[in-house]
Amino acid sequence: MATHVPTANGTEMTGATSLVKSLEAAGVDVMFGLPGGAILPAYDPIFDSTIRHILVRHEQGAGHAATGYAQVTGKAGVCIATSGPGATNLVTPLMDAAMDSVPLVAITGQVPSAAIGTDAFQEADIRGITMPFTKHNYLVTDPDQIPSVVAEAFHIATTGRPGPVLVDVAKDAMQKMTKFQWPTHIDLAGYKPRVVPDNQSIRDAAALIAQSAKPVFYVGGGVIKANAAKELRQLVEVLGAPVVTTLMARGAFPDSHPLHMGMPGMHGTVAAVTALQKADLLITLGARFDDRVTGKLSTFAVNAKIIHADIDPAEIGKNRHADVAVVGDVGETIKALIPALQAELAKNRADLTTWLRQMNSLKSTYPLGYDLPEDGSLSPQHVIQRIGQISGSETIFTAGVGQHQMWASQFISYEHPRTWLNSGGAGTMGYAVPAAMGAKVGAPDATVWAIDGDGCFQMTNQELVTCALNNIPIKVAIINNESLGMVRQWQTLFYEGRYSNTNLDSKRVPNFPMLAESMGCVGLACERPEDLDKTIEKAMSINDQPVVVDFRVHRDAMVWPMVAAGTSNDEIMIARATAPDWDSQEL
Amino acid sequence: MTTTARRQHTLEVLVENSPGVLARVAGLFSRRAFNIDSLNVGPTENPAISKMIIVVGVEGHSLEQVIAQLDKLISVISIKEILTGDSEVIHDTQPDYQN
Repeated sequence: MATHVPTANGTEMTGATSLVKSLEAAGVDVMFGLPGGAILPAYDPIFDSTIRHILVRHEQGAGHAATGYAQVTGKAGVCIATSGPGATNLVTPLMDAAMDSVPLVAITGQVPSAAIGTDAFQEADIRGITMPFTKHNYLVTDPDQIPSVVAEAFHIATTGRPGPVLVDVAKDAMQKMTKFQWPTHIDLAGYKPRVVPDNQSIRDAAALIAQSAKPVFYVGGGVIKANAAKELRQLVEVLGAPVVTTLMARGAFPDSHPLHMGMPGMHGTVAAVTALQKADLLITLGARFDDRVTGKLSTFAVNAKIIHADIDPAEIGKNRHADVAVVGDVGETIKALIPALQAELAKNRADLTTWLRQMNSLKSTYPLGYDLPEDGSLSPQHVIQRIGQISGSETIFTAGVGQHQMWASQFISYEHPRTWLNSGGAGTMGYAVPAAMGAKVGAPDATVWAIDGDGCFQMTNQELVTCALNNIPIKVAIINNESLGMVRQWQTLFYEGRYSNTNLDSKRVPNFPMLAESMGCVGLACERPEDLDKTIEKAMSINDQPVVVDFRVHRDAMVWPMVAAGTSNDEIMIARATAPDWDSQEL
Repeated sequence: MTTTARRQHTLEVLVENSPGVLARVAGLFSRRAFNIDSLNVGPTENPAISKMIIVVGVEGHSLEQVIAQLDKLISVISIKEILTGDSEVIHDTQPDYQN
């Protein structure tokens, strides 16, 4: 906190200027927003601020862009909107950020304090609306409180388990005069996150790990939040046990590493799902036993003891009892665990040979794969795989939600943290384009690809105008199967192929390349496998403008493996009505 | 501490005395499907702090989970469990449950 000692300290100014000075003092260098009546006082000092303000076309775009920026940089993302509908348009990104533990600060204007509660024009109780999915929120009516509230908001958003904080500021609080005073320290009686884990819990965890014959590292997004990928690799190599990385943790551990079994969960690999199911110990690091990972909870990893390391004490025991709970920053936990485990292993080391042989056998027998369409049309998985291979491992990928998201997680190889951004907990269609915009602003030298579906793209593509006009040259791959593909897949599997309202008829309407061109982007299209690589290479060669590629793919491709919702992970299917051949595996 | 056979637990919760705190606590119980049997709010000797006495019906959730989720609210300062008819404090959240 207090990255700058503001020179404005002690100066008389309006509340609006105090708000902008406070954001500057908190170290904000960019924010995404859209003005309106109640927030208008703040936009006057924003005009003169050192902070780059990027004018979006819809407030939802501002929220997801702030998330993309935060996920790439590790800093708090900032979005700003007016009262009423401006603020409610931030609701989805705030909920999204809460589910995925993203540090976000949202500033909203509120109607003048005397009008609050009168159903005034553009009045919405955004503090009340966002209570369930903000880490904390504020309504400020006194201009003297603006600096301390902003300082607290950034402190809360970025420490402990990161999350979104909303600051709603009444218009009159921005118009009144105040003396600016940036706080020298923050002391919140009700907020003291535990960073360093308890020594005893580390010793207990190390002892349990050393005794285990079938341990698995169950790695969640917390490891990326804690910037602990390097330390995780050290810990894994000390033990030499298999690793799985959840959807939120892709990139926390290199996909190319021989101990990596892949992603667990509903569309996880057979090796990763089975590793969790058959383990005798889950070393859970910054993960939360989400239903998409566990499947039917009562049948999840029934023989495993659980070490659960998380910075949020409320995650311990929420879904699954923890035999050893380690509360603290997961990076600190891993750092403490390495020497503790080395000491335990020196005394006593379980033999993991059989376990590793079993897991490696599953990994080589059931690799991720797909069939190319018999009619010679484009395979969506192949498109995504080639984009990953051609653009390379330094590329940042974002995804929307659905089949293309799962394929982007499965068929792109992630080697580095903060290169895979998606809406994991919330499942927000429309996340990809604005998140890619924010990611590119946070990492301007990186190639940023949004892998999007044609359904998702039609929800938030207006932010390509923002990208085109603000020199934010992202690349968008529309995996166009003219369907709401994942829902269609469920209709195929569970509703006898009755495709109720999943047909988008969108191979020509809208005309995506023309739509892209109209928004100031380069629009490309590809529908034949023989054009795939050169189209991707063309997109890679354009770096001064956003590029949108309409990949017209086969519509019947499905995401496999799959654990159907509500069923046990033991019932994983590798294709329709096809289970792995368990009898041939020694498990 | 594990959930006892008693269904009801009485929690003494110190909270910031600021607008919206009651809504935060009530909303938490509602959205996480925790049962409130009764809730009383009153002042303390410190005007910045209010005291809530919440009787929780624990069914399907552990008391630890109720306490941990309550303590995640920034406006909640401390939580103690009180044995009915006995002044003995059997559970104090500080500092282990701090988040």
